Amino acid sequence: MDINKVKKQWQALSTNVEDIDYAVSGHDFNVCLESDKLRDFAALMLEEGFYLVDLMAVHVTPAIEVVYQFAHFETRCRVLARAFVDDKCEIPTISDIYQGANWHEREARDFHGVVFSDHPYLHPIILPEEDVDLKPLLKKEAGLKDVDAVRRKPPEPAPEPKPKVKPEVEPKAKPEAVKSQEQS
Amino acid sequence: MSMDIEILEDDRHHRYVLNMGPQHPSTHGVLRVLLELEGEYAMNLLPVLGYGHRCHEKIAEYKPVKSFMPNTARMDYLGALIYNHGYAQLLEKATGVEVPERAEYIRVITSELNRIQSHLLWYGAYLLDLGAFTPIMYAFDDREHILDILEDVTGSRLTYCYFRVGGVCKDIDDKFVTSTRAFISRLRSRFPMYEDLVNGNVILQNRLNDVGDLNPHTCARYGITGPLLRGTGVGYDLRRAEPYSIYPKFDFEIPTATKGDCMASFLVRFQEMEQSLRIIEQALDGLPEGPVMAAKVPKKLKIPAGDYNSSVEAPRGELSYYLVSDGSDVPYRLKVRTPSYSNLSVIPEMCQGMLLSDVVSAMGALDLVIPEIDR
Repeated sequence: MDINKVKKQWQALSTNVEDIDYAVSGHDFNVCLESDKLRDFAALMLEEGFYLVDLMAVHVTPAIEVVYQFAHFETRCRVLARAFVDDKCEIPTISDIYQGANWHEREARDFHGVVFSDHPYLHPIILPEEDVDLKPLLKKEAGLKDVDAVRRKPPEPAPEPKPKVKPEVEPKAKPEAVKSQEQS
Repeated sequence: MSMDIEILEDDRHHRYVLNMGPQHPSTHGVLRVLLELEGEYAMNLLPVLGYGHRCHEKIAEYKPVKSFMPNTARMDYLGALIYNHGYAQLLEKATGVEVPERAEYIRVITSELNRIQSHLLWYGAYLLDLGAFTPIMYAFDDREHILDILEDVTGSRLTYCYFRVGGVCKDIDDKFVTSTRAFISRLRSRFPMYEDLVNGNVILQNRLNDVGDLNPHTCARYGITGPLLRGTGVGYDLRRAEPYSIYPKFDFEIPTATKGDCMASFLVRFQEMEQSLRIIEQALDGLPEGPVMAAKVPKKLKIPAGDYNSSVEAPRGELSYYLVSDGSDVPYRLKVRTPSYSNLSVIPEMCQGMLLSDVVSAMGALDLVIPEIDR
């Protein structure tokens, strides 16, 4: 696999391809997709020999984000692809390209209510049949965050000592409260 | 739940639906499979999951990141320490906590003991499924030694919670080292016996050869990893492919087989136990002195905003934790990618048209642990 060639193909399909630091995030590339290019992207990934690691939904505003993780059997190349669902909470299925996505998509339907259009059998898999509308992993309004709040902040990853020092100072202010929390 | 059964006009064929599980002994837990049979051939399979769903991902969103460690052990109760390892590593990666070298050695030694223990249980239970009763007694005899060794140092026998962010909670002592060394020579001396007693057995050969048919492309489509993938000739092991912890320091092989049938993954698992012993031996030889916990681990562990992934090689394949953080000490979203979930999803394709007894062989070869599928 020629990574530069594949990267160019990703760029043609996506809105943004970003190199990320494997040592910090555990991924090599971050690819942002429009949902109509998703199936082309999945087909390309399969052709290049990537396997589907995982597929999941994250509830953020403005819309639920569906995250796809790919990796390769021969070289270390972890790819994170993201796409947002549309107004009707729909996104195209990739279960006919990556059959392993079938169950992951059913799980995302269970937990977040994401509808994968043209999925062959979008029935509850983990939850019982009667809990089809429960959608337990949707956030309550108070806990719901904007998508920018859960993204890595651009200036922060560079200075390394910072994250080490920062959390150290804060717990000193109220160590008692933390202790009781941990014990419970 | 119902299956859409095609009604056949030809009345020589009679299809009926058989429930296998959720209490069937060969499903090793609460997995239910609906089998559509034609005579003794399974024409359609529909696994039904969720009997052991315990909302681990939901729980993770409600408590501080460090308090989720015991939950990781309860997903895969056979690979608990490896699940601990992946999670500890995730948080260390996200917060930049450095782990002392001695702690990394202890992690590797105990993780590999845990891997052998898991493979031994699979070995006995799989053969039990296939109708061989005796081997499970031998396998459990050996496994008991590992449980005793790990009980001394971790305090529990199954759902270990031994690793912490920044190290391990208790140092190992001389007794651990001597009993582990004694166990290594014991298990080594037992391997020829296993090979004579089981691996060359003609009934086993007939039950496993050419049953189940996997190839690297199918594995990529379904996301199959672990011994099943290595049975198709792809030497993909995260300990080598994405070296983590101190695995690069050790000399070990990645056993592979090429046929992709049940026999291939059977032999891969069997050979992996020897490789794990080699790793433990080298780690015991090179065990450095020093602390087992990082000096400064904040009590309230705040994860900087962003997403993090940590993957380790569990006994059944790739285990990934994916954490989305909003900058607080409680995860915004934690997703656990468990190997058995992806591995099991191939069953409808792999077992179509198989004899019912071969379905048992094929499902046993997946080495299922149901709680990690249902989470």
